[in-house]
Amino acid sequence: MNEDIVESVKKAVEIIDKKGFDGDVFGIKSRNISYSIKKGELSDSSEYQDNGLGIRIIKDGKVGFGYCTPGDEEKGVKIAEELSAVSESIDLRLPEKNDTPEPKTHDKKIVESSLEGKGAKFTQDVIEGAKSLEEDIIPTRGGLAISIGTKVLGNTNDVFLKQKGTAISASVLTTIPGKDTSINASESRFSRKMDLDFKDVGKSAAEKVDSLRESSEIPKGKVPVVMNPDAFGMLMWFGIVPAIDGENIRKGKSVYEGRKGEQVASENLLMKDDPTKDWGIGSGPFDDEGVPSEETSIIKDGRLKRFIYDLEEAKKSDTESTANGMRGGFKNPPEITDRNIVLRGEGKDKDDLLPDDGILVDGVMGAHTLNPASGDFSVVATPAWLVENGEIKGKVEGAMISGNLPETLKSIELADDYKKSYESIGSREIKMDLPSARFNDITVSGN
Amino acid sequence: MSLKDIIDYVRAEGADYCDIRKERWDSTNLTLKDGEIDKVTSGKEEGAMVRVLYDNGWGNVGISDLEDLKGTADRAIWMAKSNSKYKKEETGMADVETHEESIEMSMEENFLDVSIEEKVSFLKDLEKQLNEDFVRSTELRYGDGIVDKEIATSDGTHVKMKIPRIVTYLIVIGKSDTIQRASEGIGATGGYEVTERAYDKKDVVLQRLKTLLKAETPPSGKMPLIMDPHLTGVFSHEAFGHAAEGDLVSTGNSCLEGKIGEDVASDIVTIKDDPTMNGYGSFPFDDEGTKAKNRILVENGVLNDFILDRENAWKLDMSPNGGARAEDFRVKPLVRMSNTIMEPGDMSFDELLDEVDKGVYAKSSGGGQVNTGEGTFQFNAQEAYLIKDGEIEKPLRDVSFNGFTLETLQNITGITEEMETGIGHCGKGQTAPVTDGGANVLISEVTVGGRE
Repeated sequence: MNEDIVESVKKAVEIIDKKGFDGDVFGIKSRNISYSIKKGELSDSSEYQDNGLGIRIIKDGKVGFGYCTPGDEEKGVKIAEELSAVSESIDLRLPEKNDTPEPKTHDKKIVESSLEGKGAKFTQDVIEGAKSLEEDIIPTRGGLAISIGTKVLGNTNDVFLKQKGTAISASVLTTIPGKDTSINASESRFSRKMDLDFKDVGKSAAEKVDSLRESSEIPKGKVPVVMNPDAFGMLMWFGIVPAIDGENIRKGKSVYEGRKGEQVASENLLMKDDPTKDWGIGSGPFDDEGVPSEETSIIKDGRLKRFIYDLEEAKKSDTESTANGMRGGFKNPPEITDRNIVLRGEGKDKDDLLPDDGILVDGVMGAHTLNPASGDFSVVATPAWLVENGEIKGKVEGAMISGNLPETLKSIELADDYKKSYESIGSREIKMDLPSARFNDITVSGN
Repeated sequence: MSLKDIIDYVRAEGADYCDIRKERWDSTNLTLKDGEIDKVTSGKEEGAMVRVLYDNGWGNVGISDLEDLKGTADRAIWMAKSNSKYKKEETGMADVETHEESIEMSMEENFLDVSIEEKVSFLKDLEKQLNEDFVRSTELRYGDGIVDKEIATSDGTHVKMKIPRIVTYLIVIGKSDTIQRASEGIGATGGYEVTERAYDKKDVVLQRLKTLLKAETPPSGKMPLIMDPHLTGVFSHEAFGHAAEGDLVSTGNSCLEGKIGEDVASDIVTIKDDPTMNGYGSFPFDDEGTKAKNRILVENGVLNDFILDRENAWKLDMSPNGGARAEDFRVKPLVRMSNTIMEPGDMSFDELLDEVDKGVYAKSSGGGQVNTGEGTFQFNAQEAYLIKDGEIEKPLRDVSFNGFTLETLQNITGITEEMETGIGHCGKGQTAPVTDGGANVLISEVTVGGRE
């Protein structure tokens, strides 16, 4: 049972090879430690060690996928082989040996901190930061998570790759209790190296909730809206990322279908997926199919250039994989997944982005209800503040903002305050590295 | 070492409480896109989680190596001891009846005995029936999985259960001036016989897509809204049910805190969460080994109960009611819903319509989100219609609505007789299969968001 993951991947590849099939084996060994905050205190900590193999067999051009724990390689290969029988033949070709970039993804300091049990102290720092502002502000929920892992990818073309990675994240929900309802605000930060200021995570959440005590009227109609990076990231992930997915393009499920070369955003906007960047959220030398990572320009000078692909879709679309085949765990087959979406624009100072009159939005509720096929959205802005004469005033409650995300890119203005946003929903991970943005084409409605 | 030996060992180390949950999973997933098999996966895995409470500090450790349960227990003890140093507030586990039982939830037709070829032909046959000229793309997903669990606690509970779950989703996409999508799912705690019900959904998604392709954008502002049974279910789950989760109540994150016995909804509203009824979220024991029972959360408008695990029941001085669920052995149980239902009323649909001069009839959920502390919610309907003078006038698309949970529950002025249920995968850091349902419900005023 406790075989080393590297040996286990090698063993499974050998079994596939002996049977005369093509295939690849993806192994993960990781240790995940988390600490929970409840009602102003560290309440508990949890840990799990994951250890497993995802096995893909290509038999007569047909693909089957099985998973198992190390030690059960024979069984895992057998399951994958059986399943391949019912697949369509797509003659998938796995990558050959090739050079890979070496972005930084592993920070020894995170490993050391976890071994020394420092997570509890970091969590305590978040709590202290949140309590430092006003007595009635309570860090009611939140936590800290540390993840240390090794990914191993081997295939029957003698490719054998290994990547070590670390990540740390902290989040906190601060609350001002009220008679009927409370006021809430949260802050979360993510990094792959040991550079988070834990006290500041708590303090930022406290400052945010403190600024929500007074209410303002919701301005209605076409009103300029400035979104902080987390809110902007959520909308972009649900609204634009599906539209650049190669499969959605081929199947006519994207607003960008047949529009390559067209002006789809303001002239100075660059959007790329760059997994080769040091310490990027989804950075790594290769994707989960063993394709060397590369930078993909999606929108350049406002024009639509390229979409993202995994091996299977690249084959079907008659193009090359852009190293976007990711698995989200050993139990899942590769899927087209964004890795580090980066937006670059004019990069104004955040203060210069604020309109004379409009709203500032820190979070959105219901981003996942966005229509992924059209990019139409209608979400609640919360927390959000009124901006009057260029100054941030009281909160606006229940403001609904709606529009079409791809259309808004044509007149969007970007700031230069980049932030890494990370959230996991099921086996999918939202990973964005975006600045604040101003939208001039959004409708605000509400009470 | 047996689970009992491990528990005795942990207790001898001075722990106040300990439990072990051992699980073995066997799952298969198929995706058919545009009539062709896209992904086919299957696998087995096993693992366990040990939880230890020591002097108010918790340590929870999950592992996929069942041969090292003692080492896992040692790690959990160490973590609980370390955390207890930071804990000032006392905690404990409310008493429950202990059980020694083994339950296997039944399958009429065991899906483990159905060949992968047969599962593929079921999806392909279903897909053929979605072949209409306005359908541009289809996606069908099938999943089955059975978990074999063994739970032992230091209080003496030792239960074993086998829970089979099966699910099928139908998604159709079409294009007019915009791209539109319609989806429906069926799922249950049961066997392969459940797949028959997927055929009932094909006409629903086709009709919905056809309607959406000629739909207009909705008006915005405050107006009356009728939710169909599926949306009522999702509203009951999202807006109300989450706020009734004991862990959110005990940490000051629920608008229902301190309101047991108070009027929180109009007196025609009764909401239950019942893991013992037939649904996708059913189970015989929760993941702390507490026997499942029906929870009447709101009775005729009065808040009656919360969903509670043992620790939050202790904190709130209430009785645990089997509310602890964990996604798998990697994670600790959280307070979760199961099958959440708003009980039907006595009106007809026409009577509801008669009440509305200008408003929206919103059908089937396109997702939603809540803030349980502030008591606010946002939902999207997959399908919607404009109502004028008590008549359904024209279809609308991209309808979303939001409001304050407590105010909206009081604004419920009519509920019809017929009840339907739907399924979902509820996310709260972990995923849980759930059922929700209800009847057509009239809300006298809610904020509808639109682009007009």
